[in-house]
Amino acid sequence: MPATNLLQGTLDLLILKALAVNELHGLGISHRIAQITSGTFDVKPGSLFPALHRMEEAGWLAATWGDSENKRRARYYRLTAAGRRQLHAETQQWETIALAMANALRAS
Amino acid sequence: MPLLNRLASLGRNLFARPRVERELDEELRTYVAQLTDEKRASGMEAAEARRAARIESGGVEQIKEEVRQVRTGQMLEQLLQDLRYGVRMLRKSPAFTAMAVLALALGIGANTSMFSVAYGILWRPLPYANADRVAVVFMRYFPRDFEFGTMCLRDYQMWKENNRAFEDPSLFTMRRMDIGGKEGFPEQVQGASVTAGFFATMGVQPVIGRTFAAGEDHPASHSLAVLSESIWRRRFGAGTGVLGQAILVNGTQATVIGVMPDRFRFPNHTTEIWTNLVLNPPTRYGPWFYRGVARLKRGVTLEQAQAETNQIGLRMMQQNPYYKRLTLPVRGLRDALLGPSLKPAILVLAGAVGLVLLIAVVNVANLLLARATVRQREMALRLSLGAGRGRLVRQLLTESVLLAVMGGAAGLAVAWGGLALIRAANPGDLPFMDSVRLDAGALGFMMAVSMLTGILFGLAPAFQSARTDLNATLKEGGRTGAGSHSHGRARAALVISEIAVSLMLLVGAALLLRSLANIERITGGFATPPGRILTMLISPGNQKYKDTAMGLAFYDEVLRRARNVPGVEMAAVTDSLPPDRQGDADTFVIEGQALAPGELNPIVSDATVGPDFFQTMGVPLMKGRYFTEHDVENSTRVAIVSEGFARRFFPGQEAIGKRIKQSGPGFGDNWMQIVGVVGNLKYLGLTVDTDPAYYMPFAQSYGPQISLAVRTKGDAARLAETLRRDIQGIDPQVTLAQIGTMEQAMQSSVSQPRFDGLLMSLFAGIALLLAAVGIYGLIAYAVAQRTHEIGVRMALGAARTDVLRMVLRESAGLAACGIVAGLVAAFGLTRLLNTMLFGIGATDALTFAAAGVGIMLVVVLATLAPALRATRISPVVALRYE
Repeated sequence: MPATNLLQGTLDLLILKALAVNELHGLGISHRIAQITSGTFDVKPGSLFPALHRMEEAGWLAATWGDSENKRRARYYRLTAAGRRQLHAETQQWETIALAMANALRAS
Repeated sequence: MPLLNRLASLGRNLFARPRVERELDEELRTYVAQLTDEKRASGMEAAEARRAARIESGGVEQIKEEVRQVRTGQMLEQLLQDLRYGVRMLRKSPAFTAMAVLALALGIGANTSMFSVAYGILWRPLPYANADRVAVVFMRYFPRDFEFGTMCLRDYQMWKENNRAFEDPSLFTMRRMDIGGKEGFPEQVQGASVTAGFFATMGVQPVIGRTFAAGEDHPASHSLAVLSESIWRRRFGAGTGVLGQAILVNGTQATVIGVMPDRFRFPNHTTEIWTNLVLNPPTRYGPWFYRGVARLKRGVTLEQAQAETNQIGLRMMQQNPYYKRLTLPVRGLRDALLGPSLKPAILVLAGAVGLVLLIAVVNVANLLLARATVRQREMALRLSLGAGRGRLVRQLLTESVLLAVMGGAAGLAVAWGGLALIRAANPGDLPFMDSVRLDAGALGFMMAVSMLTGILFGLAPAFQSARTDLNATLKEGGRTGAGSHSHGRARAALVISEIAVSLMLLVGAALLLRSLANIERITGGFATPPGRILTMLISPGNQKYKDTAMGLAFYDEVLRRARNVPGVEMAAVTDSLPPDRQGDADTFVIEGQALAPGELNPIVSDATVGPDFFQTMGVPLMKGRYFTEHDVENSTRVAIVSEGFARRFFPGQEAIGKRIKQSGPGFGDNWMQIVGVVGNLKYLGLTVDTDPAYYMPFAQSYGPQISLAVRTKGDAARLAETLRRDIQGIDPQVTLAQIGTMEQAMQSSVSQPRFDGLLMSLFAGIALLLAAVGIYGLIAYAVAQRTHEIGVRMALGAARTDVLRMVLRESAGLAACGIVAGLVAAFGLTRLLNTMLFGIGATDALTFAAAGVGIMLVVVLATLAPALRATRISPVVALRYE
């Protein structure tokens, strides 16, 4: 569902989550997000790269150059300690909000 | 640490930009390549896979731009980038930049300096405690019709007794005072005699000592003096020993009781000494030497005080039928110090310079609009290459601000020079000029206005591009299309308004200059060239010269020595000098003419002159004879009257042989026989209608203080030093003051109109220059735009003159609109100049017509260069250009 608008802040959380297991390059992150959301979110490079660079500057991500599967030089992102803390905090926040929203919508 | 991280990013983004950019580029290329790899892996052909990957990724350049946007320090970085780009753009079109900066510099500079002066003179708070509560009370009545006129002691008593609006009415009179004593050479300074409450009213404390105490204006009071700080430093080395010391003031002993701080300068901005005015009970009306000063009671406004004081004026008229249309103008302290004519003049000039700023701003707007049209394609191109609209706006803003800052910096220099110029052109009687500083507020305001203009009109291309279709603009090729039409109309409107406004200024300047010429044409009534007359005021100082015989002997010696100075042709004494030094004016009686009951004797100038005075000045004798050496103390008392006097008081009769006498007590039965009629001299200023005057011989109307006038062969100024030395050699106590040539006196009497005319012409000149630049720019641009069209016309057989006519017609059309608008506006506005004009009406048709023609000429001249360029367009080149 490419038309789905990413909620403000959701993209950050998805990127953090996507990188929780191992480091990935841009396209890899994109695929990983599609995979973990069962294709609900298809992140385009126009939103992905600004977000990656912003999060890197915020100190949540660190990047290194490495060789990709096809022997191409790619930039790999991984979580920093701050990034892990951020993932934790945002996850909790999200769960609180999701619960509250679900309750609110279920209320008669 | 997030902060350290940020700082590291900032450093990297700002200082390792090429590497950061390279990496970004590589990262994105890898992304597309990887995507392509995947497409191929899923079975696409190489070319198709590449295409699909590229479409799916979107515009790589746009992504880059968005990544740049989120980087730390991107604002700063973009600002630097914009600045660099802005500087490059401005350097690429030096003519545009120079014109815009010049316009801003002239506009900002002229305004900042003029408003600094206006603020210093008109609005800077006075450094006196009660400044806003103190009012000066004048007396104005017919026939002596001066707005800031004087009253006599009887009027003061009447005012004081009936006054309810003021606390503690005081009285003052200004006079020149000779000060001397054992501390140094005698000198003459501006002084004032004031009643006891004067200083309490002003609310200013002395630096040392005290001011006058209550009762120290009673008839039996001792003579006291309060010095200014300047005299205290100059003559007494700022020592406290001055208190209680006796000094000579006008030849009599006065005890110094206090010193006032330098910021206190009242009633005149040159006043340096105050003596206690002793109020002897008046026995008659006159002399009219005095003005009132008082503090408004709590809760009373100036208007209420004026209304109440007018009631007192009505009573004065009832008591004394001589007073006609009497009013008692009540003025605030500042207005009193400024006098009646300065404030309107400064306001008019400030208004005029505001118009200059308007023109400058219009000019810059015009230039920016012209550029906007040219840059439309650039904007479209940059938008299509992925620049955000916000980014474009920001960059245009940077350029405008850059322009404004450059204009402001240059304007500061112009303002500094302008202030120096105004100081140099200062008529000398501009009060508060010492306190005038370049005003930061004024400069800031002008900068803000110019920035606002820059922003408003500089953004035009951005708004334009927001409206236009990128494709259409880009496709239009070499020519700039949509929008240029509306721009063209806006620019034409701007140029028309420029023409109109500069025409208004030109009319104003022309009126003031013609008025100045009118004043300068007035001679003052004497035929001797003013450069060959030297005058000085002599005060003998020593009390013994109060005695007539001693005094006359002294002046005989003065004249003898003066005549012996090589180069001196003639020398005479007089107590009155043209153009504006009236010696005395008082009432007089004509023998055999009875007054109507209650009517007061007429007041005219009465001058005391020695033999040779009329010959020295070159005043023509109409009838009878001049004074001679034989008109001495005990011979028949004689008088000479002016032509105006004879015409007014003896119409259709022979004046010679009639007898007149000074009226009022103390003059006795001293009838004087009129022995001559001479030409009119101006004693009340060149622009004031000639006041009737009668003359008495020095020997029969002796006073110790009198002016010496000498006629010289060559330049009179060169003899000043010799004369001074020779006369002071008679007696070291002699004070010589106001030494100068008649030429200087005449010049300084027109200094105010010259100042007004000079500044107004300067402003009009700047306005005209800017308007010409504006016209030139518009037409040159229009010609460039129409190169193709003109080429086609010429190819189809249009002659060069047709082309010339076509271009000229366009600018003449603009000029005509501007001139009509300008003339109408000038017709409404020039009446503000009324008080500044002499001998010319504010709506003088000739001046208006000449100014209109002048503007038309300027417009045609400004158009000529681009018009001629149009005629030289070669049809072949023009068509190929497409």
